[in-house]
Amino acid sequence: MNFDVSQADTPSVMVPPPLADRVIDVRGLNFYYGKNQALFNVDLPVARHQITALIGPSGCGKSTMLRTLNKIYDLYPGQRAEGQILFNGENMLNAKEKVDTSQMANAGGVPINGDTARLRARVGMVFQRPTPFPMSIYENIAFGVRLHRNVSRAEMDEIVETSLTRSALWDEVKDKLDTSGLGLSGGQQQRLCVARGIAVEPEVLLLDEPASALDPLSTAKLETALMELKSSFTIVIVTHNLQQAARISDYTGFMLLGKMVEFRPSSDAFVKPETAAMRDYVTGRYG
Amino acid sequence: MAAPQKQGFDRHMRRKLINYAFVGLTLAATAVAVIALLLILASLVINGFGGISSTVFTLDQPPPEMPGGLRNAIVGSLEMCGIGMVIAVVIGILAGTWLAEYGDHNKLADVVRFLNDVLLSAPSILIGLFVYELLVVHVIHGFSGLAGAVSLAILATPVVTRTTEDILRLQSNQLREAGMALGAGKGLVIRQIIWRASRSGLMTGALLGFARISGETAPLLFTSLGNPNLSLSLTQPMGSLPAVIFQFALSAYDDWRRLAWVGALLIAITVLSANIIGRALARGSHKQ
Amino acid sequence: MAEAIAATAGEMAPRVDDSRGVSRAGRNDTIFHGLCFSAAMVLMATLVGLIISLIIGGWPALSHFGLKFFVSSEWNPVTDEYGAAGPIVGTLVTALLAMMMALPLAVGIAVFLVEFCPKSIANTVAAAVELLAGIPSIVYGMWGLFVLAPWFSQHVQMPLLMSLDPESFWGRLLTGVPNGANIFTASLILAVMILPFIATVFRELLLTVPTYVREAAYGMGCTPFEVVRAIMLPYVQRSAIGAVMLGLGRALGETMAVTFIIGNSHAMPHSLFDSGSTIASTIANEFTEATGDLHISALIALGLVLFIITFAALAAARLLLGKEKY
Repeated sequence: MNFDVSQADTPSVMVPPPLADRVIDVRGLNFYYGKNQALFNVDLPVARHQITALIGPSGCGKSTMLRTLNKIYDLYPGQRAEGQILFNGENMLNAKEKVDTSQMANAGGVPINGDTARLRARVGMVFQRPTPFPMSIYENIAFGVRLHRNVSRAEMDEIVETSLTRSALWDEVKDKLDTSGLGLSGGQQQRLCVARGIAVEPEVLLLDEPASALDPLSTAKLETALMELKSSFTIVIVTHNLQQAARISDYTGFMLLGKMVEFRPSSDAFVKPETAAMRDYVTGRYG
Repeated sequence: MAAPQKQGFDRHMRRKLINYAFVGLTLAATAVAVIALLLILASLVINGFGGISSTVFTLDQPPPEMPGGLRNAIVGSLEMCGIGMVIAVVIGILAGTWLAEYGDHNKLADVVRFLNDVLLSAPSILIGLFVYELLVVHVIHGFSGLAGAVSLAILATPVVTRTTEDILRLQSNQLREAGMALGAGKGLVIRQIIWRASRSGLMTGALLGFARISGETAPLLFTSLGNPNLSLSLTQPMGSLPAVIFQFALSAYDDWRRLAWVGALLIAITVLSANIIGRALARGSHKQ
Repeated sequence: MAEAIAATAGEMAPRVDDSRGVSRAGRNDTIFHGLCFSAAMVLMATLVGLIISLIIGGWPALSHFGLKFFVSSEWNPVTDEYGAAGPIVGTLVTALLAMMMALPLAVGIAVFLVEFCPKSIANTVAAAVELLAGIPSIVYGMWGLFVLAPWFSQHVQMPLLMSLDPESFWGRLLTGVPNGANIFTASLILAVMILPFIATVFRELLLTVPTYVREAAYGMGCTPFEVVRAIMLPYVQRSAIGAVMLGLGRALGETMAVTFIIGNSHAMPHSLFDSGSTIASTIANEFTEATGDLHISALIALGLVLFIITFAALAAARLLLGKEKY
């Protein structure tokens, strides 16, 4: 990467969605891997029922950003985040802090109170590598649902069918629901993971480079599924594929060296980038 | 709307409680193991430490109700372990070298590797039976220190072989290629470069082998038998610490039992130190 | 690859070295290769010899008693009658009981070390658990005989004997001379002995569960318990059975600790607190005192049976753990 560090210091350009649309609002986030700071004072407003894409050269902090939203980094001692991640009327990084989020688009569910399990039930995640669990296709989906509520067999059948249909996988697997999820192709596995994620009915779905291991056809199917899904879910997707971001996202955040450089509606961001850094990136000057 | 939320809340609490219980159970399991270790070590120290004195090392094992020590057993154990280890290290390192350096894509090597594993996990008492049949009945015609040493060697060799192969496989091929690029033959490269680079790992193998045999009792019972007097002759029955402990511990005499505890403490210290040093060496060589 | 390079090096060498030196080096290489090969063959011959000697030694008893050797529990050196059902059953029962006690503990330890234990002390705790494996079996035996057995007799057996109706199911299951030397305490000692082996292998297995699988499970809002039960344990299931077989093999062949504490009776055990014997303890106790040829042969035949049982456990472990490991 041969970018100019001084460019990265240019003031960022933020054209955020209105406060009333935001489900998650990240404000002034700093993130540390041990002593190394990976994110610097990042803001990220996430609009309800929209797709927000995070782009930038590898190592820019976009995956780190995504992993703070459901606090999955919490699994690893030494990783910590400071600042505010406002969701559900609370600051996820400090359960005790009093915050005023009355202006935000909040679903207003059960208080999370710093409980990561509860947060992750409402902010689901799909990972870069397909991660079917070692069980049948049906069980892969039923597993997550059962964690959170009691469901009759008939209801569960319906949930499984609905989620698989919405993730555009149902037709391919409806005759082999009892076979192992590991027996599917990579693209099918990834859509199974999406189905598994939405079966729990989270409000937000995070996707970390979900198509990076997939062939073009599988990618297209996945993108179609995501476009359908945004009517019911808020989606944040990390991708290194600019075309993908341009095709499916409503808002785009461009990150560089751990900072949010440009955040704008995608319709504008790709056509006329305002910062020199994003212009360089969009025109392919970074690897 | 309120009802399902309530249900969700209770369910969440239940999951959390189950999780706490589970964490507690795993912690308890770990505690059981650590406590068992401490209990055993404590009773060793309590019962054995008071009995340690110079006479333990200067006097031979006594008849009942007489003062005595464990000199003959300690010397016998050292001698048999020493000879056993020499045999085991020579054969084990050579065999391990063959498996690692010459044994790729070789059906015979697969067989040897498997048989080595079988030998590694064969009950030690069967090794004793085998050496009894082989040496005591046929070759030497009687119980002897040599038979004891051979049975210990058979126990330690697979350990050394296994570790040697694992350690040598850790060495990079570049190292081998660099040696051969200088015109050195394969055998020379192995001896002068690969063995040298793996020295601490090979030491680990030997120490683990030693740890395995120094506490072994079963195969000695009918190979070296035991000898109440100090004897260095390899063709005569020879005393050993584990066999004396076995005899004394099951006896009805308090003096003998006290000596058995002392012997058990000595053996435990030896074996545990060999284990700890071996593992520390292994960890050191992994870091390199 | 390495062979090709060796060959090249050999061909190249004459140009830079005088030919006598090369041929000597070549001869040394051949000798060295031969030595390594011979060592491997010695190893192989040892095991083959072991098997043959067990077969030859045990044949007289096996052919004399036939099937009766395995089904009769009449073991009497005086009348020269040898039925090995008692020790065989004792071996299997103690090993299985030990496994039943050790397995849940071992899984608990492994899970604790991998998931819950603070990283700073995990290695120390793991080392302590592994030290348990380093304690010689004769020490376990003494500890069992002098510490565990008296405690067990006083605090478990006596109260049970007093309170249980001897005719009830539990009364029958737990009857026996209250001296603490019985099948159950032998299994208990065995359980402590195999615990570190299984726990260590389990820990290594759990560490092989890929990060992305764990993250995916946590990412759905699973509690650690749910991740372990539904994802991690099924993930390592197959290899875990291998680890269990490995532990079972150890329990089956363990001699000294059991000899100290099992009570050494050749009759078929009738209850959990009855004294019994295992194959290994029988051989250890009687071999040096056996005088009759048939007696010795019967003991060696027992050894052959033990070898076959442990071999089966090892073979199963290898099949399940995969070829390269263990």
